[in-house]
Amino acid sequence: MDGGGGGGGMGGACYVYPGAPATPGLVTADVTYDLGIDMQIPLTMDDGNTVNMWGFSDGGGNMGGMGGGGGGMGGGTFPSPAMRMRQGQIVHTNLSVDMMMMHTVHHHGIEPADHSDGVGHITWDVANGTYTYQWRPAQAGTYFYHCHTNTVLHAEMGMYGALIVDPPEGPGTLFSGGPTYDVEAFWVVDEIDSSWHTLPWTAGTCGGDVGLNNLNPDYFVITGVDGSGNSAMDLAPISATVQRGQKLLARYICAGYHPQRIRFGGLTGKIYASDGRPLPNPVSVTEIRAGSAERYDIIFEPTTRGEYIIETDIIHWVTGNVLGTTRTNIIVT
Amino acid sequence: MKRRDFLKAGTAGLAGSVLGSVGLIAWTPRAHAATITKTFYITDGFITQPDGVNVYFRGFSPSSSSLAVPGAQLVAQEGDTVRITIVNRLNTSHSFKIDGVVDSGRISGGQTRTIEFQANNAGTYLYYDARNAPYNRLVGLHGGFAVMPNGSSNEVYAGSPTFVQQYFWVFHDIDPVWHNAIRNGNTPNTSYTPRYFTLNGLSARPPGAPGAHDPAVDAMADPLSALHGHVGDRTLLRVLNPGMCQQSVHTHGNHMEWLTDNGQVRDDVWSKDCIYLEGNMGKFDAIYPYEPPPDAWPPVTTGAYPMHLHTEMSQTAGGGLYMFGALTDIYFE
Ligand SMILES: [Cu+2]
Ligand SMILES: [Cu+2]
Repeated sequence: MDGGGGGGGMGGACYVYPGAPATPGLVTADVTYDLGIDMQIPLTMDDGNTVNMWGFSDGGGNMGGMGGGGGGMGGGTFPSPAMRMRQGQIVHTNLSVDMMMMHTVHHHGIEPADHSDGVGHITWDVANGTYTYQWRPAQAGTYFYHCHTNTVLHAEMGMYGALIVDPPEGPGTLFSGGPTYDVEAFWVVDEIDSSWHTLPWTAGTCGGDVGLNNLNPDYFVITGVDGSGNSAMDLAPISATVQRGQKLLARYICAGYHPQRIRFGGLTGKIYASDGRPLPNPVSVTEIRAGSAERYDIIFEPTTRGEYIIETDIIHWVTGNVLGTTRTNIIVT
Repeated sequence: MKRRDFLKAGTAGLAGSVLGSVGLIAWTPRAHAATITKTFYITDGFITQPDGVNVYFRGFSPSSSSLAVPGAQLVAQEGDTVRITIVNRLNTSHSFKIDGVVDSGRISGGQTRTIEFQANNAGTYLYYDARNAPYNRLVGLHGGFAVMPNGSSNEVYAGSPTFVQQYFWVFHDIDPVWHNAIRNGNTPNTSYTPRYFTLNGLSARPPGAPGAHDPAVDAMADPLSALHGHVGDRTLLRVLNPGMCQQSVHTHGNHMEWLTDNGQVRDDVWSKDCIYLEGNMGKFDAIYPYEPPPDAWPPVTTGAYPMHLHTEMSQTAGGGLYMFGALTDIYFE
């Protein structure tokens, strides 16, 4: 499957492979997500500036310029709506995109048939229609989904959301045979280079230097909130309040491109799973170094009252310099 | 060329005591240690990048009139004597070093030097020019060296999880300003800004692009890089990073079994869809298990998937051209 060529100018895009065919082997789904596209999502930062984000909107699937559909306007959030289902359920992700652009959904860490993997050059970039990605998660854990068209730009623009697979037991258990938890926190840490955020969806695909080799972030976000100041403090489900004796599960997703180091402010956590797979033996840590798109599931069982600041440094991929830091907190009562 | 044919030809022609196999690594264990020999010519020249820019490189090349970046794959088994002759065809000084194994010291311009060493410790190594570090290494003087455990054809270290085929993935990043400075005998004095990204010396060319499907230029078509296998063809990835950038190596289709990290055998084998690769000569070994993609519905055993770096800046060339960077394809045949 080569996507049938596809080079050459497609509305200013090159090396895209437009399509929205029928999904092979389509069956009735247990869970369905209807996603549209929203290219106008203002994100206000702590300094008062607004950065335009792109994302998937909840309730796509209606073509013809209806709000929240594939028309590129309205209904989207940053991050995109979370997907949450149980292991073994058959899932449909219906992505609707209008004729003016192309996007895909890649469910990162989920390993479906290639036609449901959302990789343009191997299959197709969804354009001018609705495509159904069909998959059935085999292993509970923390994943995320993101666009895989001109990925370097589209994922940086915010086209991603959390994807949580619960075991058959449901929320409260990380995976069958794994730990239980009482409280859940979501740490999705990302960097934003605002100079990229005025580019068109096709930027660079036909050549020319649009700077996509050089990510110089000026904002640092955690789960959709400017994390450089106090905005993500006391803000569930980024921050969490835990009673002594309770167990907190933190689902940490390195959603940026530069490496990160997350520090637990004096708490010790236990990593039970990474990238949606249980570890053979849990590992106790006070900090974790992570690369782009890695996920870590960490259980905390704090024993001492207090406030613990969770800080994530975003580190330049060449120099190792800390470019910025996001902060949130855990309150132990 | 079909992978199966290639494997057969490679095994027939290159098994045993010859260093420098081509394609995926062909290897047949021997009962007795051997002395194996290889001659490298240090040469230079220009390599045309995907945006048409010619960039200066030096390489450990197979002849005086060629330029190879990276140098040929070298494979030995524990106990072998390895004899390498370096013919320095340039007028600058160079060296051949494998950390912890051998260091030729200075080989002046025009000089020829033969070094001999014992291959003692099974594992994956970078051979490189350690002089004028890191510049000579960055400008192309590097390659992969593997030592197989004594008498073993299917382990990365004695007792490791086993594989049925193995590949080197040598990732590199290129700042043409630095390469030009080195060409002119200067020490680079600009901040390192990579503009090209390669796997085993090649950038990818998406379908429809000039050079797509040409194994001489397209990393997705290169038999040294693209994985071909059937379900059950567990594939060892010997991953090396002579470049400067920290990377996140991401496979679709299957998670990888993460066996070693920077030469250390890991306490536990983790199943990861992204593995952190240090810049500046980081390395790891992992097995791509070629299991049926676990989340497909209906189940599948064939298909095509990408391997790409999730540090997405590395998926570009010249500041744009998404998919002309360091990626390849994985075929379930
Ligand atoms: Cu997109
Ligand atoms: Cu991804």
